[in-house]
Amino acid sequence: MRRRVILCVVCAIACVVLGAAAAFETRTTRLQAIKTVGIVSAIGEEMSLTQAGLVVLGNAGQSVSISAWGLDELIVQQATKLLGGRFRVQAVSYRRAAFAAIRDSAVAPVNLLRSDPFKELVRSDVTPQGLDAYIVITRARSKLGNGRIVEGVGLAQYRTLLADYGLIHALYEIRVIEGKSFDVIEKRAAAPLDNTGTMRLAGPSGPVDATIDGPASS
Amino acid sequence: MLRTFLAAFGAILAIPHSASAQTAFTLPAPPFDVPMLPSPSGNWTVMVGIGGEYTPDFVGSKNGKFLPIPIFTIRRAGSVDQFRGPRDSASIALFDVGYFRAGPAFKYVASRKSDKYSELTGLGDVKAAYELGGFVEYFPVDWLRLRSELRQGMGGHTGTVADVSADVIVPLIQRLTISAGPRFTWKSTKATAPYFSVDAAQSLASGLPMYDAKGGAHSVGFGSQISYRINPQWEVHAYVEYEKLLGNAADSPLVKLRGSSNQTTVGLGASYSFDFRIR
Repeated sequence: MRRRVILCVVCAIACVVLGAAAAFETRTTRLQAIKTVGIVSAIGEEMSLTQAGLVVLGNAGQSVSISAWGLDELIVQQATKLLGGRFRVQAVSYRRAAFAAIRDSAVAPVNLLRSDPFKELVRSDVTPQGLDAYIVITRARSKLGNGRIVEGVGLAQYRTLLADYGLIHALYEIRVIEGKSFDVIEKRAAAPLDNTGTMRLAGPSGPVDATIDGPASS
Repeated sequence: MLRTFLAAFGAILAIPHSASAQTAFTLPAPPFDVPMLPSPSGNWTVMVGIGGEYTPDFVGSKNGKFLPIPIFTIRRAGSVDQFRGPRDSASIALFDVGYFRAGPAFKYVASRKSDKYSELTGLGDVKAAYELGGFVEYFPVDWLRLRSELRQGMGGHTGTVADVSADVIVPLIQRLTISAGPRFTWKSTKATAPYFSVDAAQSLASGLPMYDAKGGAHSVGFGSQISYRINPQWEVHAYVEYEKLLGNAADSPLVKLRGSSNQTTVGLGASYSFDFRIR
Protein backbone atom coordinates (compact mmCIF):
# COMPACT_ATOMS: atom_id res chain seq x y z
CA MET A 1 0.00 0.00 0.00
CA ARG A 2 2.74 2.41 1.04
CA ARG A 3 4.76 1.55 -2.08
CA ARG A 4 1.71 2.29 -4.24
CA VAL A 5 1.23 5.72 -2.61
CA ILE A 6 4.91 6.57 -3.17
CA LEU A 7 4.63 5.44 -6.81
CA CYS A 8 1.56 7.64 -7.31
CA VAL A 9 3.32 10.66 -5.77
CA VAL A 10 6.41 10.10 -7.98
CA CYS A 11 4.18 9.79 -11.08
CA ALA A 12 2.32 12.99 -10.16
CA ILE A 13 5.62 14.90 -9.68
CA ALA A 14 6.93 13.54 -12.99
CA CYS A 15 3.75 14.66 -14.78
CA VAL A 16 4.03 18.18 -13.32
CA VAL A 17 7.73 18.46 -14.22
CA LEU A 18 7.21 17.15 -17.75
CA GLY A 19 4.19 19.41 -18.24
CA ALA A 20 6.17 22.38 -17.02
CA ALA A 21 9.10 21.54 -19.27
CA ALA A 22 6.72 21.22 -22.23
CA ALA A 23 5.14 24.58 -21.46
CA PHE A 24 8.56 26.24 -21.20
CA GLU A 25 9.65 24.68 -24.45
CA THR A 26 6.49 25.80 -26.21
CA ARG A 27 6.81 29.43 -25.08
CA THR A 28 10.49 29.70 -26.00
CA THR A 29 10.13 27.99 -29.35
CA ARG A 30 7.08 30.07 -30.16
CA LEU A 31 9.04 33.28 -29.60
CA GLN A 32 11.99 31.97 -31.60
CA ALA A 33 9.77 30.99 -34.52
CA ILE A 34 8.48 34.53 -35.05
CA LYS A 35 9.70 36.15 -38.27
CA THR A 36 7.01 38.60 -39.38
CA VAL A 37 5.37 40.97 -36.92
CA GLY A 38 2.79 43.75 -36.95
CA ILE A 39 2.79 46.51 -34.35
CA VAL A 40 -0.34 47.92 -32.75
CA SER A 41 -0.03 50.97 -30.49
CA ALA A 42 -2.93 52.48 -28.59
CA ILE A 43 -1.60 54.56 -25.71
CA GLY A 44 -1.55 58.03 -27.25
CA GLU A 45 -5.25 58.79 -27.70
CA GLU A 46 -5.62 60.77 -24.50
CA MET A 47 -3.56 62.28 -21.71
CA SER A 48 -4.66 62.19 -18.09
CA LEU A 49 -4.19 65.03 -15.63
CA THR A 50 -4.35 63.67 -12.09
CA GLN A 51 -4.00 65.25 -8.69
CA ALA A 52 -3.43 63.23 -5.54
CA GLY A 53 -2.51 63.88 -1.93
CA LEU A 54 -4.10 66.95 -0.35
CA VAL A 55 -6.78 67.69 -2.94
CA VAL A 56 -10.32 68.98 -2.53
CA LEU A 57 -13.41 66.78 -2.56
CA GLY A 58 -14.71 66.04 -6.06
CA ASN A 59 -11.37 66.52 -7.78
CA ALA A 60 -11.49 63.34 -9.84
CA GLY A 61 -8.89 64.29 -12.41
CA GLN A 62 -9.50 64.81 -16.10
CA SER A 63 -8.28 63.68 -19.46
CA VAL A 64 -7.80 65.45 -22.77
CA SER A 65 -7.59 64.12 -26.30
CA ILE A 66 -4.09 64.17 -27.74
CA SER A 67 -4.68 61.96 -30.76
CA ALA A 68 -3.58 64.85 -32.98
CA TRP A 69 -0.10 64.66 -31.47
CA GLY A 70 0.57 61.40 -33.27
CA LEU A 71 2.23 59.64 -30.31
CA ASP A 72 1.13 56.20 -31.47
CA GLU A 73 2.60 56.75 -34.93
CA LEU A 74 5.84 57.80 -33.23
CA ILE A 75 5.82 54.68 -31.04
CA VAL A 76 5.16 52.36 -34.01
CA GLN A 77 7.96 54.11 -35.92
CA GLN A 78 10.44 53.70 -33.03
CA ALA A 79 9.42 50.09 -32.37
CA THR A 80 9.75 49.26 -36.07
CA LYS A 81 13.26 50.71 -36.06
CA LEU A 82 14.20 48.68 -32.94
CA LEU A 83 12.70 45.40 -34.18
CA GLY A 84 13.73 45.79 -37.81
CA GLY A 85 17.09 44.08 -37.34
CA ARG A 86 15.57 40.88 -36.01
CA PHE A 87 12.07 40.72 -37.55
CA ARG A 88 10.31 41.68 -40.75
CA VAL A 89 7.94 44.37 -39.50
CA GLN A 90 4.83 44.82 -41.59
CA ALA A 91 2.47 47.80 -41.32
CA VAL A 92 -0.96 46.88 -39.99
CA SER A 93 -4.24 48.76 -39.79
CA TYR A 94 -6.60 48.63 -36.83
CA ARG A 95 -9.19 50.69 -34.97
CA ARG A 96 -7.04 52.40 -32.37
CA ALA A 97 -10.02 53.54 -30.31
CA ALA A 98 -11.19 49.94 -29.90
CA PHE A 99 -7.81 48.92 -28.44
CA ALA A 100 -7.68 52.02 -26.22
CA ALA A 101 -11.18 51.35 -24.88
CA ILE A 102 -10.33 48.01 -23.26
CA ARG A 103 -9.95 48.21 -19.49
CA ASP A 104 -9.08 45.67 -16.81
CA SER A 105 -11.94 44.59 -14.58
CA ALA A 106 -11.98 46.12 -11.07
CA VAL A 107 -12.52 42.60 -9.72
CA ALA A 108 -9.04 41.07 -9.78
CA PRO A 109 -10.07 37.39 -10.18
CA VAL A 110 -12.11 38.26 -13.30
CA ASN A 111 -8.90 39.33 -15.07
CA LEU A 112 -7.32 36.00 -14.22
CA LEU A 113 -10.29 33.90 -15.30
CA ARG A 114 -11.40 35.66 -18.48
CA SER A 115 -9.67 35.32 -21.82
CA ASP A 116 -7.34 38.22 -22.72
CA PRO A 117 -9.64 40.73 -24.51
CA PHE A 118 -6.84 41.85 -26.85
CA LYS A 119 -6.67 38.38 -28.41
CA GLU A 120 -10.14 38.70 -29.87
CA LEU A 121 -9.52 42.26 -31.01
CA VAL A 122 -6.35 41.27 -32.88
CA ARG A 123 -8.25 38.41 -34.51
CA SER A 124 -11.20 40.56 -35.58
CA ASP A 125 -9.76 44.02 -36.04
CA VAL A 126 -6.21 43.90 -37.34
CA THR A 127 -5.39 43.59 -41.04
CA PRO A 128 -3.57 41.90 -42.61
CA GLN A 129 -4.03 38.63 -40.76
CA GLY A 130 -1.59 35.75 -41.00
CA LEU A 131 1.59 37.38 -39.63
CA ASP A 132 3.63 35.26 -37.19
CA ALA A 133 2.88 37.62 -34.30
CA TYR A 134 1.34 40.94 -33.38
CA ILE A 135 2.95 43.23 -30.84
CA VAL A 136 0.27 45.17 -29.00
CA ILE A 137 1.29 48.23 -26.95
CA THR A 138 -1.48 49.51 -24.68
CA ARG A 139 -1.96 51.57 -21.54
CA ALA A 140 -0.94 50.20 -18.14
CA ARG A 141 -2.18 51.56 -14.83
CA SER A 142 -0.73 52.39 -11.45
CA LYS A 143 -1.83 53.71 -8.08
CA LEU A 144 -0.85 57.25 -7.14
CA GLY A 145 -1.31 58.25 -3.53
CA ASN A 146 -4.07 56.30 -1.80
CA GLY A 147 -7.18 56.53 -3.91
CA ARG A 148 -6.07 57.59 -7.38
CA ILE A 149 -5.34 55.42 -10.39
CA VAL A 150 -3.31 56.84 -13.26
CA GLU A 151 -2.89 55.15 -16.61
CA GLY A 152 -1.16 55.62 -19.92
CA VAL A 153 0.33 58.97 -20.79
CA GLY A 154 -0.19 61.91 -18.51
CA LEU A 155 0.82 64.42 -15.95
CA ALA A 156 0.27 63.88 -12.25
CA GLN A 157 0.65 66.15 -9.29
CA TYR A 158 1.05 65.06 -5.68
CA ARG A 159 0.09 67.78 -3.25
CA THR A 160 1.40 67.88 0.29
CA LEU A 161 0.97 70.48 3.00
CA LEU A 162 4.31 72.14 2.31
CA ALA A 163 5.11 71.34 -1.32
CA ASP A 164 3.73 70.03 -4.61
CA TYR A 165 5.44 67.43 -6.78
CA GLY A 166 4.90 66.93 -10.51
CA LEU A 167 5.33 63.75 -12.53
CA ILE A 168 5.11 62.88 -16.18
CA HIS A 169 4.30 59.27 -16.91
CA ALA A 170 4.04 56.85 -19.81
CA LEU A 171 2.64 53.63 -18.36
CA TYR A 172 2.36 50.91 -20.96
CA GLU A 173 2.28 47.17 -21.37
CA ILE A 174 3.30 45.03 -24.30
CA ARG A 175 1.71 41.79 -25.46
CA VAL A 176 3.13 39.43 -28.04
CA ILE A 177 0.13 37.70 -29.60
CA GLU A 178 0.66 34.67 -31.80
CA GLY A 179 -0.65 35.28 -35.30
CA LYS A 180 -2.30 31.90 -35.92
CA SER A 181 -3.74 30.80 -32.59
CA PHE A 182 -3.92 34.34 -31.14
CA ASP A 183 -2.51 33.09 -27.85
CA VAL A 184 -0.73 35.69 -25.70
CA ILE A 185 2.85 34.39 -25.76
CA GLU A 186 4.26 37.17 -23.60
CA LYS A 187 2.81 40.06 -21.62
CA ARG A 188 4.97 42.57 -19.73
CA ALA A 189 4.34 45.97 -18.21
CA ALA A 190 7.14 48.53 -18.55
CA ALA A 191 9.10 48.79 -15.30
CA PRO A 192 9.91 52.07 -13.47
CA LEU A 193 12.99 53.80 -14.87
CA ASP A 194 14.74 54.02 -11.52
CA ASN A 195 14.10 53.52 -7.85
CA THR A 196 15.51 56.78 -6.59
CA GLY A 197 12.29 58.73 -6.24
CA THR A 198 10.11 58.58 -3.17
CA MET A 199 6.93 59.10 -5.20
CA ARG A 200 6.81 56.05 -7.39
CA LEU A 201 4.57 54.71 -10.10
CA ALA A 202 4.50 51.17 -11.44
CA GLY A 203 5.96 52.25 -14.77
CA PRO A 204 8.16 54.79 -16.56
CA SER A 205 7.86 58.27 -15.08
CA GLY A 206 9.98 61.28 -14.33
CA PRO A 207 9.73 64.46 -12.27
CA VAL A 208 8.55 67.71 -13.86
CA ASP A 209 8.30 71.24 -12.52
CA ALA A 210 4.94 71.99 -14.14
CA THR A 211 1.80 72.07 -12.01
CA ILE A 212 -1.73 71.17 -13.07
CA ASP A 213 -3.91 74.20 -12.49
CA GLY A 214 -6.82 75.55 -14.45
CA PRO A 215 -8.97 73.83 -17.07
CA ALA A 216 -7.65 70.88 -19.05
CA SER A 217 -8.01 72.73 -22.33
CA SER A 218 -5.25 75.13 -21.35
CA MET B 1 2.84 72.70 -24.08
CA LEU B 2 3.07 70.05 -26.81
CA ARG B 3 6.76 70.64 -27.32
CA THR B 4 7.49 70.45 -23.57
CA PHE B 5 5.39 67.34 -23.20
CA LEU B 6 6.97 65.56 -26.17
CA ALA B 7 10.44 66.44 -24.92
CA ALA B 8 9.69 64.98 -21.48
CA PHE B 9 7.86 62.00 -22.95
CA GLY B 10 10.75 61.36 -25.33
CA ALA B 11 13.16 61.50 -22.41
CA ILE B 12 11.17 58.81 -20.63
CA LEU B 13 11.11 56.54 -23.67
CA ALA B 14 14.67 57.23 -24.73
CA ILE B 15 16.30 56.03 -21.52
CA PRO B 16 18.00 52.77 -22.46
CA HIS B 17 16.83 49.57 -20.86
CA SER B 18 20.07 49.15 -18.94
CA ALA B 19 19.22 52.28 -16.99
CA SER B 20 16.05 50.71 -15.69
CA ALA B 21 15.52 50.38 -11.96
CA GLN B 22 18.61 49.11 -10.16
CA THR B 23 17.91 45.72 -8.66
CA ALA B 24 19.74 43.91 -5.87
CA PHE B 25 19.76 40.63 -7.77
CA THR B 26 18.14 38.87 -10.70
CA LEU B 27 16.42 35.52 -10.55
CA PRO B 28 16.01 33.31 -13.60
CA ALA B 29 12.63 33.11 -15.29
CA PRO B 30 10.37 30.43 -13.87
CA PRO B 31 10.56 27.27 -15.98
CA PHE B 32 6.81 27.28 -16.53
CA ASP B 33 3.76 29.51 -16.24
CA VAL B 34 0.98 28.68 -13.86
CA PRO B 35 -2.29 28.82 -15.82
CA MET B 36 -4.57 31.77 -14.92
CA LEU B 37 -1.92 33.46 -12.79
CA PRO B 38 -0.01 36.48 -14.11
CA SER B 39 3.64 35.89 -14.93
CA PRO B 40 5.98 36.77 -12.03
CA SER B 41 8.53 38.16 -14.51
CA GLY B 42 9.53 41.74 -13.87
CA ASN B 43 10.77 43.85 -10.98
CA TRP B 44 9.61 43.30 -7.41
CA THR B 45 10.09 45.30 -4.22
CA VAL B 46 10.71 43.51 -0.94
CA MET B 47 10.39 45.34 2.36
CA VAL B 48 11.93 43.80 5.47
CA GLY B 49 12.16 45.32 8.89
CA ILE B 50 11.63 45.03 12.57
CA GLY B 51 9.27 46.81 14.88
CA GLY B 52 8.28 46.74 18.49
CA GLU B 53 4.97 47.27 20.22
CA TYR B 54 4.13 48.04 23.83
CA THR B 55 0.64 46.68 24.32
CA PRO B 56 -1.62 45.57 27.22
CA ASP B 57 -0.89 42.05 28.54
CA PHE B 58 -4.43 41.07 27.53
CA VAL B 59 -7.57 43.02 26.62
CA GLY B 60 -8.62 44.77 29.81
CA SER B 61 -5.23 44.57 31.52
CA LYS B 62 -3.68 47.57 33.24
CA ASN B 63 -0.16 46.25 32.67
CA GLY B 64 1.70 46.06 29.38
CA LYS B 65 4.33 44.02 27.59
CA PHE B 66 6.76 44.64 24.76
CA LEU B 67 6.40 42.52 21.62
CA PRO B 68 8.83 42.42 18.68
CA ILE B 69 7.05 42.58 15.31
CA PRO B 70 8.68 41.42 12.07
CA ILE B 71 7.91 43.46 8.94
CA PHE B 72 7.79 41.79 5.53
CA THR B 73 5.96 42.78 2.37
CA ILE B 74 6.47 41.99 -1.30
CA ARG B 75 4.87 43.87 -4.18
CA ARG B 76 5.42 44.79 -7.82
CA ALA B 77 8.16 47.43 -8.13
CA GLY B 78 6.76 50.92 -8.33
CA SER B 79 3.37 49.99 -6.98
CA VAL B 80 2.34 52.24 -4.17
CA ASP B 81 2.68 51.01 -0.61
CA GLN B 82 -0.98 51.60 0.25
CA PHE B 83 -1.84 53.32 3.53
CA ARG B 84 -2.33 50.82 6.38
CA GLY B 85 -3.46 51.38 9.93
CA PRO B 86 -1.84 49.43 12.79
CA ARG B 87 -5.22 47.90 13.71
CA ASP B 88 -6.02 46.72 10.18
CA SER B 89 -6.41 42.98 9.72
CA ALA B 90 -4.41 41.18 7.05
CA SER B 91 -6.45 41.69 3.88
CA ILE B 92 -6.41 41.35 0.11
CA ALA B 93 -8.24 43.83 -2.13
CA LEU B 94 -9.97 41.63 -4.71
CA PHE B 95 -12.10 44.56 -5.80
CA ASP B 96 -10.15 47.75 -6.42
CA VAL B 97 -11.26 50.84 -8.30
CA GLY B 98 -8.75 53.14 -6.65
CA TYR B 99 -10.98 55.04 -4.24
CA PHE B 100 -12.96 51.93 -3.23
CA ARG B 101 -11.46 48.59 -2.24
CA ALA B 102 -12.95 45.44 -0.81
CA GLY B 103 -11.90 41.88 -0.15
CA PRO B 104 -11.35 39.18 2.46
CA ALA B 105 -9.75 39.96 5.83
CA PHE B 106 -8.15 37.77 8.48
CA LYS B 107 -7.08 38.42 12.06
CA TYR B 108 -5.29 36.18 14.52
CA VAL B 109 -6.16 36.70 18.19
CA ALA B 110 -3.56 35.15 20.48
CA SER B 111 -4.59 32.72 23.20
CA ARG B 112 -5.01 33.97 26.79
CA LYS B 113 -3.30 31.70 29.32
CA SER B 114 -4.50 32.13 32.89
CA ASP B 115 -1.19 30.99 34.40
CA LYS B 116 0.72 33.74 32.59
CA TYR B 117 -0.71 36.70 34.50
CA SER B 118 -1.73 36.82 38.17
CA GLU B 119 -4.93 38.79 37.37
CA LEU B 120 -6.22 35.82 35.37
CA THR B 121 -5.66 33.18 38.04
CA GLY B 122 -8.70 30.91 38.22
CA LEU B 123 -10.32 32.24 35.04
CA GLY B 124 -9.25 29.42 32.73
CA ASP B 125 -7.56 29.61 29.34
CA VAL B 126 -9.04 31.05 26.15
CA LYS B 127 -7.69 29.37 23.03
CA ALA B 128 -6.31 31.33 20.07
CA ALA B 129 -9.06 32.67 17.79
CA TYR B 130 -9.03 32.98 14.01
CA GLU B 131 -11.28 35.70 12.67
CA LEU B 132 -12.24 35.49 8.99
CA GLY B 133 -14.33 38.02 7.15
CA GLY B 134 -14.15 40.94 4.79
CA PHE B 135 -13.28 44.61 4.59
CA VAL B 136 -14.40 47.65 2.65
CA GLU B 137 -12.32 50.78 2.32
CA TYR B 138 -13.41 54.08 0.80
CA PHE B 139 -11.37 57.17 0.03
CA PRO B 140 -13.79 60.08 -0.62
CA VAL B 141 -10.59 62.09 -1.12
CA ASP B 142 -6.99 60.97 -1.23
CA TRP B 143 -6.37 62.13 2.35
CA LEU B 144 -9.35 60.49 4.07
CA ARG B 145 -9.80 56.75 4.53
CA LEU B 146 -12.98 55.16 5.88
CA ARG B 147 -12.59 51.46 6.63
CA SER B 148 -14.86 48.80 8.00
CA GLU B 149 -14.25 45.13 8.74
CA LEU B 150 -16.69 42.38 9.64
CA ARG B 151 -15.18 39.09 10.87
CA GLN B 152 -16.47 35.81 12.25
CA GLY B 153 -14.39 34.10 14.92
CA MET B 154 -13.35 30.45 15.11
CA GLY B 155 -11.50 28.71 17.91
CA GLY B 156 -11.13 30.80 21.06
CA HIS B 157 -14.36 32.67 20.33
CA THR B 158 -17.13 32.03 17.82
CA GLY B 159 -18.68 35.48 17.74
CA THR B 160 -18.86 38.34 15.26
CA VAL B 161 -16.59 41.39 15.36
CA ALA B 162 -17.09 44.67 13.47
CA ASP B 163 -14.44 47.39 13.28
CA VAL B 164 -15.03 50.88 11.91
CA SER B 165 -12.30 53.48 11.55
CA ALA B 166 -11.52 56.75 9.84
CA ASP B 167 -8.06 58.16 9.14
CA VAL B 168 -7.10 61.61 7.96
CA ILE B 169 -3.82 61.14 6.08
CA VAL B 170 -1.76 64.31 5.76
CA PRO B 171 1.45 64.28 3.73
CA LEU B 172 3.49 67.14 5.20
CA ILE B 173 6.11 66.71 2.53
CA GLN B 174 6.63 63.85 0.10
CA ARG B 175 8.59 61.82 2.67
CA LEU B 176 6.71 62.62 5.86
CA THR B 177 3.11 61.56 6.45
CA ILE B 178 1.01 61.80 9.57
CA SER B 179 -2.41 60.25 10.02
CA ALA B 180 -4.98 60.12 12.79
CA GLY B 181 -8.58 59.22 13.35
CA PRO B 182 -11.30 57.64 15.49
CA ARG B 183 -12.01 53.90 15.91
CA PHE B 184 -15.04 51.92 17.04
CA THR B 185 -15.48 48.18 17.67
CA TRP B 186 -18.66 46.17 18.12
CA LYS B 187 -18.59 42.55 19.31
CA SER B 188 -21.33 39.96 19.65
CA THR B 189 -21.96 38.10 22.91
CA LYS B 190 -20.06 35.04 21.67
CA ALA B 191 -17.03 37.23 20.92
CA THR B 192 -17.21 39.01 24.29
CA ALA B 193 -18.15 36.31 26.81
CA PRO B 194 -15.01 34.09 26.63
CA TYR B 195 -12.82 37.04 27.64
CA PHE B 196 -15.04 38.96 30.10
CA SER B 197 -17.58 36.54 31.64
CA VAL B 198 -16.92 34.94 35.04
CA ASP B 199 -18.87 31.71 35.67
CA ALA B 200 -19.52 30.08 39.05
CA ALA B 201 -16.42 27.87 39.00
CA GLN B 202 -14.19 30.74 37.85
CA SER B 203 -15.72 32.98 40.50
CA LEU B 204 -14.79 30.49 43.22
CA ALA B 205 -11.28 30.00 41.84
CA SER B 206 -10.50 33.65 41.16
CA GLY B 207 -12.36 35.48 43.89
CA LEU B 208 -14.11 37.68 41.30
CA PRO B 209 -17.91 38.02 41.36
CA MET B 210 -19.90 36.07 38.77
CA TYR B 211 -20.55 38.03 35.60
CA ASP B 212 -22.37 37.30 32.35
CA ALA B 213 -20.86 39.53 29.65
CA LYS B 214 -23.12 40.36 26.70
CA GLY B 215 -22.23 41.75 23.29
CA GLY B 216 -22.59 45.29 22.01
CA ALA B 217 -20.39 48.35 21.68
CA HIS B 218 -16.97 47.03 22.72
CA SER B 219 -14.63 50.00 22.46
CA VAL B 220 -14.13 53.45 21.10
CA GLY B 221 -10.75 54.98 20.52
CA PHE B 222 -8.32 57.11 18.62
CA GLY B 223 -5.17 56.28 16.71
CA SER B 224 -2.34 58.23 15.18
CA GLN B 225 0.61 57.28 13.03
CA ILE B 226 3.68 59.00 11.60
CA SER B 227 5.97 57.66 8.91
CA TYR B 228 9.16 59.13 7.48
CA ARG B 229 10.92 57.85 4.40
CA ILE B 230 14.59 58.65 4.98
CA ASN B 231 15.47 57.61 1.42
CA PRO B 232 13.90 55.23 -1.13
CA GLN B 233 15.24 52.29 0.88
CA TRP B 234 14.79 53.20 4.55
CA GLU B 235 11.58 54.12 6.29
CA VAL B 236 10.76 54.60 9.97
CA HIS B 237 7.34 54.79 11.55
CA ALA B 238 5.67 55.13 14.92
CA TYR B 239 2.08 54.90 16.10
CA VAL B 240 -0.15 55.14 19.14
CA GLU B 241 -3.59 53.57 19.50
CA TYR B 242 -5.85 54.37 22.45
CA GLU B 243 -8.98 52.35 23.18
CA LYS B 244 -11.64 52.89 25.85
CA LEU B 245 -13.51 49.69 26.62
CA LEU B 246 -17.29 50.13 26.69
CA GLY B 247 -20.40 48.26 27.76
CA ASN B 248 -20.14 44.80 29.27
CA ALA B 249 -16.42 44.55 28.54
CA ALA B 250 -15.73 47.68 30.64
CA ASP B 251 -18.13 46.53 33.38
CA SER B 252 -16.56 43.07 33.71
CA PRO B 253 -15.06 42.50 37.20
CA LEU B 254 -11.85 41.44 35.50
CA VAL B 255 -11.53 44.97 34.10
CA LYS B 256 -13.15 46.89 36.96
CA LEU B 257 -11.36 45.18 39.85
CA ARG B 258 -8.08 43.99 38.36
CA GLY B 259 -7.57 45.85 35.11
CA SER B 260 -8.37 49.04 33.29
CA SER B 261 -10.78 50.10 30.57
CA ASN B 262 -8.07 52.39 29.14
CA GLN B 263 -5.99 50.43 26.65
CA THR B 264 -3.00 52.03 24.96
CA THR B 265 -0.68 50.53 22.39
CA VAL B 266 2.51 52.26 21.26
CA GLY B 267 4.65 50.95 18.44
CA LEU B 268 7.61 51.87 16.27
CA GLY B 269 9.57 50.22 13.52
CA ALA B 270 12.11 50.58 10.74
CA SER B 271 12.12 48.89 7.36
CA TYR B 272 14.47 48.50 4.42
CA SER B 273 13.24 48.06 0.84
CA PHE B 274 15.12 46.60 -2.10
CA ASP B 275 14.22 45.54 -5.61
CA PHE B 276 14.94 42.26 -7.32
CA ARG B 277 14.12 41.11 -10.80
CA ILE B 278 12.69 37.93 -12.21
CA ARG B 279 13.69 37.46 -15.86
